[in-house]
Amino acid sequence: MRKVVGMIACIFVFAFILTGCSGFTSSSGSSGDGDKITLKFMHRWPKEPEKSYLDKVVKEFEKKNPNIKIQTEAVLNDSYKEKIRVLLGTNHPPDIFFSWSGEFAHNIVRGNKALDLTSYYNKDKTWSDKIIEPTMESYRFDGKMYGVPWMMDAKLFFYNKDIFNKLGLKPPKTFKQLIAVSKKLKDKGYTPIAFGNKEGWPAGHYIGTLNRRTVPADVIKKDHIRSQGTFDDPGYIKALEKLQKLNDVAFNKNSNALKYDFSRQAFTSGKAAMDYMETIEIGDLPDIGFELGTFNFPAVEDGKGDQKIISGAPEGFMISSKTKHPDAAMKFLEFLTNKENGKKLVKDVKYLSSVKNTVTKDNSTPIMRKAQQEILHANKLAPWIDTGLDIRIADAYMKDMQKMLNGEMAPKDVMKDVQKEAKRVRVSAK
Amino acid sequence: MTSHRKWLPFVYLAPVLVILVLFVYYPIFSNVYYSFFDWGSFSNTMHFTGLSNFINLFKDSVFFTALKNNIYYAIISEIILVGGGLVLAAILEDKLVRRYATFLRTIYFLPVLISITVIALLFEFFYNPQTGLLNKLLESIGLDGLTRAWLGNGDTAIFAVIAMSQWQSLGYVAMLFIISIQKIPSELYEAARIDGAGKVKQFFHITVPQVKEMAFVATIMTLTQAFTVFNEPYILTGGGPGHSSEVLTTYLYHSAFNEDAMGYASAIATVILAITLIISVVQLKVFRSGEGD
Repeated sequence: MRKVVGMIACIFVFAFILTGCSGFTSSSGSSGDGDKITLKFMHRWPKEPEKSYLDKVVKEFEKKNPNIKIQTEAVLNDSYKEKIRVLLGTNHPPDIFFSWSGEFAHNIVRGNKALDLTSYYNKDKTWSDKIIEPTMESYRFDGKMYGVPWMMDAKLFFYNKDIFNKLGLKPPKTFKQLIAVSKKLKDKGYTPIAFGNKEGWPAGHYIGTLNRRTVPADVIKKDHIRSQGTFDDPGYIKALEKLQKLNDVAFNKNSNALKYDFSRQAFTSGKAAMDYMETIEIGDLPDIGFELGTFNFPAVEDGKGDQKIISGAPEGFMISSKTKHPDAAMKFLEFLTNKENGKKLVKDVKYLSSVKNTVTKDNSTPIMRKAQQEILHANKLAPWIDTGLDIRIADAYMKDMQKMLNGEMAPKDVMKDVQKEAKRVRVSAK
Repeated sequence: MTSHRKWLPFVYLAPVLVILVLFVYYPIFSNVYYSFFDWGSFSNTMHFTGLSNFINLFKDSVFFTALKNNIYYAIISEIILVGGGLVLAAILEDKLVRRYATFLRTIYFLPVLISITVIALLFEFFYNPQTGLLNKLLESIGLDGLTRAWLGNGDTAIFAVIAMSQWQSLGYVAMLFIISIQKIPSELYEAARIDGAGKVKQFFHITVPQVKEMAFVATIMTLTQAFTVFNEPYILTGGGPGHSSEVLTTYLYHSAFNEDAMGYASAIATVILAITLIISVVQLKVFRSGEGD
């Protein structure tokens, strides 16, 4: 008798395990029941105000398209990177998902995980003509469009106009002027540029822009191709030397021990006069007691590169190549990036929309309009090095620059490591 | 009847065995298998590359930095946690402080109960070069020369991380020793006192030999932890500046999720497995000899 009970117990346990396992396959709900379509939509903003903005757009879309239901999932930045990597490898990836532009997107495209959207762009010109061209560039690979840019983020210098006026300083146009301005600010007891680099990528933003200024554009273009990148142009070393110069003259001390957020705090509290910030941070600025100004990263006098280009990138969405409802998914993305929703994005989230003519007097602050002008004036966005380059190269850069800023490494040794990684990437890309 | 009963225990064991194989042994072996391939989570194919992941690993200076940091972790933990924990336990169990023992034990044990994320954030404030408590403390006692950016300096970052771990775990190890010390018959101490042995002598000739078994446990435990530590360096420094405070597990994580080099990460995991396996084999051997005493 006892034996029988034991057997039954075992069978139950086994049955439990087996059903537990099969549960994975039966609960994939991306296909709809009947006429109703369910789309899985994954983005990286479980935080406000982006979350409620996107939720609102989803609701409106569902009201207009009663046969489409959208299931949203949101995961924050770094976890998002990991999760999307895992999900795209499975058989049931989300239909619509957020993707950074540049190399991050390219990686997904190379793995055949993203749907080619070119035909949609050609079909609906009234929609696609309203998207700002430089933001589209970052989702175009081999002449095909693989994503829909949603907003744009760019790196600009923001400065405290009150301090500048008090000391009679003008926003610098060249690197030499930037150094001169910094020296004057330092003499008066201000931190010229607030800088926290504990994460490594903040220095990456500086070097990304500096490289564009000192290295000829065609060389940069070639080095961004994974199978051809060599990074042996002397301009790269020069860019690092400029960064070193900024570290000596303009940055606060101990930048490697301070987080990126520190720079914004030092800037908004009035201790630092300048901060190299992303335009998406405008919404995060508290009520500051001074007037805000902005200027593009100064031109490097003897630099052989593009003196106008701005580091920055659009962010947007892709559609999975495995989706069963590409038309419905695209319909949603077109709805998300129509002019009306673009304007709301500017107003509610304080992001610069990728849709033309959306930053206007009645929905934005003067500093947002100025930032938008700077971007349109440069008319070109250079991707961040940590999303624009192969991560191994970007990583060598970021890790070594921390050492360089600590004075433990020379610019040419940094480049040696970068070249070594570039070689590894070249080999693996073939 | 008896022949039937022979396989009955295995039926009872089967469910656990299935779960164990499915969730522990299968991943371990597949990890070793994956370490012979070059693959990433985006790529569609896996290329068999033989031992090249391991060869690259042993040419990789970051790997050795990480290994060195793990060894630092191990050595310092052995001295502070096992050595210091034992001394602390002996003091707490001494007659002189026994009145406050419960209170003090709670104080020392408290950090063990706090989430490591909270502690890491606390220590980030503690080590902050501009407003941190540590630098302010050094300044206030006139040791300005010693102030530095503890987490931002390649020479001090890993030690700052290790110090935090010691602070957190000391109470736990001390607690283990306290339990073991309480089991020592008090006659031994009385006899020693009558023979004229002082506190220090009693410690070395009675306490230490009597808690030998527990010391083994604590040694193996801290050793294994030192080679599998992840949270502390990951949250506090992220392996930086540069790769200076990288440990094996953070480098593994970095390779897998930042560089998408899954095969390489699997190779690092295999090395960690080998190290911890050696430690546990030693542990088994030592305990078997311990039984014979």
